[in-house]
Amino acid sequence: MSKISIGIDIGGTFTDIIIQDKETGLIYNQVKVSTTPKNPEVAIINSLQEQLSDADKVNVQQLYHATTIATNAFLGQVNLDLPKTILITTKGFRDVLEIGRQRRASLYDFFFERPTPIVPRKYRFEIDERINAQGEIITPLKQNNLKKISDFIKTEAIQSVAISLLHSYKNAKHEQKVKEYLEKEHKDLYLSAGFEVSPEHREFERTSTTTINSVLMPLVSRYVKSLTDSFKKIGISAPMFIMQSSGGVSKSEQVQQLPVSIIESGPSAGVVASCFLASFLDLSKIISFDMGGTTAKAGTVVNKSITLTSEYEVGGDVHSGRITKGSGYPARFPFIDLAEISSGGGSIAWVDQGSALRVGPISAGADPGPACYGQKGDDPTITDANLVLGRLNPEGLLNKTFKIYPELAEKSILKKIAEPLKLDVINSALGIVKIANNHMSRILRIVTVERGLDPREFILNAFGGAGPLHACDLAEELKINEIIIPNNPGLFSAMGLLFTDAKHTYVKSLRKNLFDIDYSDLEQAYQVLEKQGSVVLTEEGFKTKSIAHKRFVDLRYVGQGFELLIPLEGIALQNENCKDQILKRFNEKHHSIYGYILEEEEVEMVNIRTNSLGLIKKPRLVKITEGTTKPIDDAQLATREVYFEEFKGFKQTPIFSREKLLAKNKLVGPAIIEQYDTTTVVHPNWKASVDSYGLIHLTRM
Amino acid sequence: MTMNVDVITREVIRGGLEYIAEEMGIILRNAAYSTNIKERMDHSCALFDHEGRMIAQAEHIPVHLGAMPIAVRSIEKKFEGEIYPGDSFILNDPYLGGTHLPDITIITPIFFKDVLAGYSVSRAHHNDIGGMAPGSMPGNATEIFQEGLRIPPIKLVSKGEISKDILNLIMTNSRTPKIRKGDLMAQLSSNWTGEKRLQELIAQKGMKTYKLAVDDILNYSERRFLSILSGFPECEAVGKDYMDGDGIVDDLVELVVNVKMTKKHVTFDFTGTSEQVKGAINCPYAVTLSGSYYVLRAITDPTIPANEGLYRHLSVIVPEGTILNARSPAAVVGGNVETSQRIVDTLLKAFSKILPDRIPAASQGTMNNLIIGGTDRSGRPFTFYETIGGGAGGRPTKDGIDGIHSHMTNTMNTPIEEIEVRYPLVVEKYALREDSCGNGRFRGGLGIIRQFRTKVPVVVSVLGERQKTAPWGLAGGEDGKKGIYSVIKSDGKKIILPGKTTTTVNAEEIIVIETPGGGAWGEWKKRTEKSKEEDKSNGKVKEV
Repeated sequence: MSKISIGIDIGGTFTDIIIQDKETGLIYNQVKVSTTPKNPEVAIINSLQEQLSDADKVNVQQLYHATTIATNAFLGQVNLDLPKTILITTKGFRDVLEIGRQRRASLYDFFFERPTPIVPRKYRFEIDERINAQGEIITPLKQNNLKKISDFIKTEAIQSVAISLLHSYKNAKHEQKVKEYLEKEHKDLYLSAGFEVSPEHREFERTSTTTINSVLMPLVSRYVKSLTDSFKKIGISAPMFIMQSSGGVSKSEQVQQLPVSIIESGPSAGVVASCFLASFLDLSKIISFDMGGTTAKAGTVVNKSITLTSEYEVGGDVHSGRITKGSGYPARFPFIDLAEISSGGGSIAWVDQGSALRVGPISAGADPGPACYGQKGDDPTITDANLVLGRLNPEGLLNKTFKIYPELAEKSILKKIAEPLKLDVINSALGIVKIANNHMSRILRIVTVERGLDPREFILNAFGGAGPLHACDLAEELKINEIIIPNNPGLFSAMGLLFTDAKHTYVKSLRKNLFDIDYSDLEQAYQVLEKQGSVVLTEEGFKTKSIAHKRFVDLRYVGQGFELLIPLEGIALQNENCKDQILKRFNEKHHSIYGYILEEEEVEMVNIRTNSLGLIKKPRLVKITEGTTKPIDDAQLATREVYFEEFKGFKQTPIFSREKLLAKNKLVGPAIIEQYDTTTVVHPNWKASVDSYGLIHLTRM
Repeated sequence: MTMNVDVITREVIRGGLEYIAEEMGIILRNAAYSTNIKERMDHSCALFDHEGRMIAQAEHIPVHLGAMPIAVRSIEKKFEGEIYPGDSFILNDPYLGGTHLPDITIITPIFFKDVLAGYSVSRAHHNDIGGMAPGSMPGNATEIFQEGLRIPPIKLVSKGEISKDILNLIMTNSRTPKIRKGDLMAQLSSNWTGEKRLQELIAQKGMKTYKLAVDDILNYSERRFLSILSGFPECEAVGKDYMDGDGIVDDLVELVVNVKMTKKHVTFDFTGTSEQVKGAINCPYAVTLSGSYYVLRAITDPTIPANEGLYRHLSVIVPEGTILNARSPAAVVGGNVETSQRIVDTLLKAFSKILPDRIPAASQGTMNNLIIGGTDRSGRPFTFYETIGGGAGGRPTKDGIDGIHSHMTNTMNTPIEEIEVRYPLVVEKYALREDSCGNGRFRGGLGIIRQFRTKVPVVVSVLGERQKTAPWGLAGGEDGKKGIYSVIKSDGKKIILPGKTTTTVNAEEIIVIETPGGGAWGEWKKRTEKSKEEDKSNGKVKEV
């Protein structure tokens, strides 16, 4: 291989590594190795040493990486001590960070806790200065209070500083001055300011985002350095790109300045992979559904682009798919619009005081694991229920290399669910699966119906270790007619890393009535943002021809306090009728989400946004051997009794090996397809067909 | 054979119903116009069944939710035989199912194949519904007629046709007509979403299954409630607390409750509470019910689904003509926001004797309603309304929380940068109020200081409490500091405002709101040195 790309996705349990030959675009190797939480680089380096020759290492051109380091820092995991950080605010406002929006995350719980402020009060400083809502300086900044802060930084060995002054999105002069002053005084200090990190109105969200960024800077910088050093030691000196929450990658140098951009790095890769699949197969609407061991996540890809949101709370609690406001630390940055729920193979089923069957949110995780693992766990999980229903191979998982004990699954369901509920074991197991499906259908609804999208028009792309087990049930629930199961569902997310373009997002606050705008000024404002993107992308090594920009605008009716993000693709601002085109798009979106429009009402612009993309050459999917509609005899491994509600009982069901299925093969449900990293359940009334790339398409009959 | 739905189907339908209520809330918030709904989320949504029983609610504002069933009942009664598909009803009359006039409720009956299947209900606080003061929260009202436009239960939408006349009437009576319309449309949009989703759910599960499941869901909540009750002692206890005054007469107003618990039933008997008063702190029965529901949920298990079944074994007795069950036309605007907090305090005082290890000391006990209205420099009338958090009470195991909303409300603050763009106001300070907590083993939370300079002459209404009596401590903990509202005149002189008043403030003068701190739980001498040190270094509590 003369040119190599490597994708590395570090998860809680497994680290997935994918090596791609860039010349041919083919995947050379893909492996799952156990994560080494304390020093994540150990697992990576050991695995790469095994797989790559010295010559290969020199040929590595890019490393792509997804990491959970930023989220974990706020969950108190992996013993990360948050670095000593101070916050500088406008006089009178140092407590904005702590008061937040003065709302409690839990209404009826007398004993709830508000998240501890990221920066304690004694580390929050006020300076005498004030800019008004129009961006005019009404109290000039006095340099002398900076001296005191500077001394404090020295004596207290402060590592990083967040600067967040009122209305800095309108006028950044004061923030700039503070930053320059401290930069000059302290060489090794990490600094970030509101105008760079989050130049939009609403002071609490901007301050919180800026503070999160400052706290993460030292951590992420150290992490990047130790990782790149390790690569260098074994002879890999390729640049590293890190997945951002927005679904684009950014070069590690860039990420060190803006670590707030990689908070949801891990979950993003799966949606990006779905987006690639949508482009490759030319599909206009797909739902990305990823179900693993502890959680399930859903997102949408519409017209081959990923849906983004700007609201997220780091370390927050999730309540039925949505993050509870006030339970975490708000970060205002583009995030892939994901809904997430604690529903994975390891989620525990239990009976509450009122005799209701509940599933999750507690997970048995990998240790003790589901009851059927025969480790210490005796709580029934979703995996145990699937096993009892015959959906999983009773002889073992991971191609029978991982032994399981069906009798333990049965016993735990009997004791903990069936007996208290006076049900039999089978109906209890079925109940567990149904309730889990009910939870998961919620997150699918959140990303579709709640966003004004009709799920029936979507194709469900199901992956993760457990996604293909539940896909048919969920499709039935949402009346979805087609499901796609990618080739390696368990490694699909990691694969997404290799499909990812570089992406940088920019925002500028620009509040104006839509019809009062001078459109040549607006064009210019966009160009300024695009220029910034081009500069960064050029630094990252992208040539002009592979740089593209996308424009968006935040609009609302005058008087509304919440904006809709409208893409401007296909609208030229120099055109006479562009205002009408923009207005039409806004009204359509407003109508699809809220069910009405206000024709007589004026529309105002709040922010303009751009995405600057560095386009990469995508890997190819490879065609597999072609067969006939009938699978070869070897493909069917066995038959076994599998429970289907459609038959109200068990039915002898053929079991197929995914590895032995050929292009053009067709199967009629009920059927089970087993492979190393997942099991696909084809329900009665569904049929499966294998396309020329080996993807399985499930369709309703 | 008794018909029954299996437990799994019931659980699936229950999840579905809760999800619908939540989705309604999101739609309402996103489509709304006013900062009050948009930024502060001062709204609530719920679903009712065909018999008018609450079956699911989204976790919104406690004071809204308890009173909703009465609103639905009042529609059922008044429009019996005249409820059709495509209708929606509107009301805000506190004496006919509302809470106070700014809270407008919209109720949409939901039909499945021409059979009534339930109702979707939304309630939102509108920032101006007319009356004697901008913001419709006059601290000095003595009759409901002064508080704004009173809307009895009427049909706003008839068979899909919105009544432009009614909309026009409401808009004409508001100082901010466009915003009214936007917010009302957002409420309708939310109700329609609830309607559509419930119809989809019934289409999927069948009407029969849906109805059986609903019965079962309500019984389930009842079962869980009784199972908790069986672990509580059977006893009686009395709680007493006071309102500062009614804004007209300066006397304390007493609230009394006798809580009686058995293994099967709970009774809150408010007999002995003061007669209704002239000023605007009277409550309709619905508000007293809301406060009672809130306390019941919090002391049992907040994870029990809140629906009609949860409240089956609760009786709330309030003699008519008292401030907790006022007769028309008593002024009520402060009952919902202020007296409701004291209802909670009074009940918690009683419960602190029954369940001493579960009850926190008193929280700030007010919502600090602030309304600033006037005409901006371009000649447009404006109304700014917000409530301000304070200290939460210290708890038997930990400190109270600083600067947060407690008990009956849970609205968000308005961002300073939003205020300064929209209104001719400059926020000069937004900070924790140092040393305002009650000290003790577990201290109360700190209050908040919020300070506004106005650039034009304005009318300011404040409606607040705990300026004469302090949020009480428990188990030997100190009381929290009282709240103070004031105006700093252009000559620098500070004028203390009464807790409930409407006054004019000149351009360039400063309005200062200092909110109460929470009471402490336990004696100061038992506080750990580490906690004392931490408070001191953070400048929250100086040497005591």
